[in-house]
Amino acid sequence: MAGGGGGEGEPEFQIAPMIDVLLVLLIFFMSITTAQVLKVDKNVKLPLAPNAIKKDTQRSEVIINVRWDEAAKKANYIVDEKVFLETGELTKAVTAAKFAGETRVTKSANPTFRAVIRGDRDATAMYISRAMNAAAEAGISDISFSAVNKE
Amino acid sequence: MKKPSRRFDSSGDAVHLGFQIAPMIDVVFVIMLFFMVMAGSVKVEKELNSQLPGNAETSGATDFVDEQIINIAENGEVQLNEEPMDTAASRDLPQLTATLTRLKKTGDEAKTPTLVTVVSEPNAKYSRTVDVLDSLAVAGVTNVTFTVSDEEP
Repeated sequence: MAGGGGGEGEPEFQIAPMIDVLLVLLIFFMSITTAQVLKVDKNVKLPLAPNAIKKDTQRSEVIINVRWDEAAKKANYIVDEKVFLETGELTKAVTAAKFAGETRVTKSANPTFRAVIRGDRDATAMYISRAMNAAAEAGISDISFSAVNKE
Repeated sequence: MKKPSRRFDSSGDAVHLGFQIAPMIDVVFVIMLFFMVMAGSVKVEKELNSQLPGNAETSGATDFVDEQIINIAENGEVQLNEEPMDTAASRDLPQLTATLTRLKKTGDEAKTPTLVTVVSEPNAKYSRTVDVLDSLAVAGVTNVTFTVSDEEP
């Protein structure tokens, strides 16, 4: 025998450790592919920004979805699965979400409440600006824009 | 010594129908391969941060900083301090990125914050604004404000 292990015969292929390794790899790949699926609103086609930073999931936030209606050439706002056509109603919803969110304790270093705008890439800047105005009227100055890293 | 294969051993009446490890490994391999392929194409939601103006403390001394203004036209043209940058079709805006990187470096050396205001026309595409914000992220500019020029009633 070339190896010089001292034992008798050739070492056998061990199946049990291989299964352990396989299962660990399987769990790893399953976790990274399914982590992002839950919160994505399929009706909003996010714009592309390959250099954007990783999403901070620890902060208390209100998510404003800006859905673009191509036929009517206007946008609808969705907060907590409720659709708003007017910015006045949107402001009330964002203010209510801010009061609810500020009472929660956040684990992040910067616990300021923020608004995350998930705008459709086809929407015009005017509708995004209106969503920002609603956040400003609710007293939120920290705004984040959502984007995807690839098509 | 070579062992006889158990898989194809059908001789004799007492066939042992225990837990078969080989098909299980086959299945696990296929599932793992599927998730490995999926992992390469997974879309990750990221974020670009901005701050709304208007929360400045007025009790202390205020530093005046140079504000850079980026205008986005309806046709996708981008101007930095009224100077045209890149073409309307350019998504990665190399000229704007290079200029902003230079401005940021100069600001850091002078110990003054680089403040950028992005002003978009109301009917310009939001995706163009994100292109500009992405360019600002590359340059490392964090003091960013986004606004829309006079909105139509």
